Amino acid sequence: MNRVFTWQQVAPDQWRNKISELIDSGFFYFDFLTGVDRENIDGQADCEVVAHLAKPDLSDSRIIFTQVKSELASIADLAPASSWYERECAEMYGITFTGGDTSPLLRHEGLGRPPLRKSAVLAARVLTPWPGGAEPEIREDGRKVGNVSRRRQRPPGVPENWLSP
Amino acid sequence: MKHSFIALIEDKCTSCMLCVRECPAWCINLDSHTVEVTEEGARRPKKVNVLDSFDIDYSLCMYCGVCIDVCPFDALAWDEHRALTSTNREDMILSIADLRPSGSS
Ligand code: SF4
Ligand code: SF4
Repeated sequence: MNRVFTWQQVAPDQWRNKISELIDSGFFYFDFLTGVDRENIDGQADCEVVAHLAKPDLSDSRIIFTQVKSELASIADLAPASSWYERECAEMYGITFTGGDTSPLLRHEGLGRPPLRKSAVLAARVLTPWPGGAEPEIREDGRKVGNVSRRRQRPPGVPENWLSP
Repeated sequence: MKHSFIALIEDKCTSCMLCVRECPAWCINLDSHTVEVTEEGARRPKKVNVLDSFDIDYSLCMYCGVCIDVCPFDALAWDEHRALTSTNREDMILSIADLRPSGSS
């Protein structure tokens, strides 16, 4: 079967309208909802919220996303299956879904940054020496072989100064 | 091909460190040294990396395959070895001899 996926961005205040419109036009299989940390989009929003709805035979799919600062209207009353994902997204990305179920899933309150935000420091990454920091290009007598200057100083994906307290 | 093990083809590895640096689980450790080889007709001796040790800590590896993808020399490959079990963590760290592709030892 050929599956068709169509992506569409909507304004946050159109989020509920769009979802409800899709459900009414036959996209009532709610697959998932998740967040993506985009870190300061135009100084306005921080995260994207993405939802996937499909026709029940999966022939046609819509992936709807919107950019939010920290709040978005819940769609749990329109698509009950989204409630679990909204709670997960709230815990992992720190987004409040207004009007939805706000009970926590896994995390205790007050555990610091939501763990899937890029700004959340993973303590293990600070305490564990990075094996990539070894320098086989620099010999015991200080001689350099290979292209030492191009050597990457930081683990990939770890922001500058991230490892210093 | 089962994705149940990552094998190292020692002869192909140039100790370039790419896999060590890209592994998201930080579970590859390698050590190497350089030797000078003089090829016939060459004016200056060439420096060649020699692999001393290459360990994958299978208690941390999540079988993502990033290391296999980034290796420019095809020195890492999926293999059909069984998943490992052990009662202690040290045994989960496999080195060059244990990482050979199945059927090659
Ligand atoms: S499969 Fe992934 S986690 Fe395992 S050694 Fe390779 S890069 Fe690291
Ligand atoms: S990326 Fe390949 S060649 Fe480089 S150190 Fe790893 S296994 Fe060896």
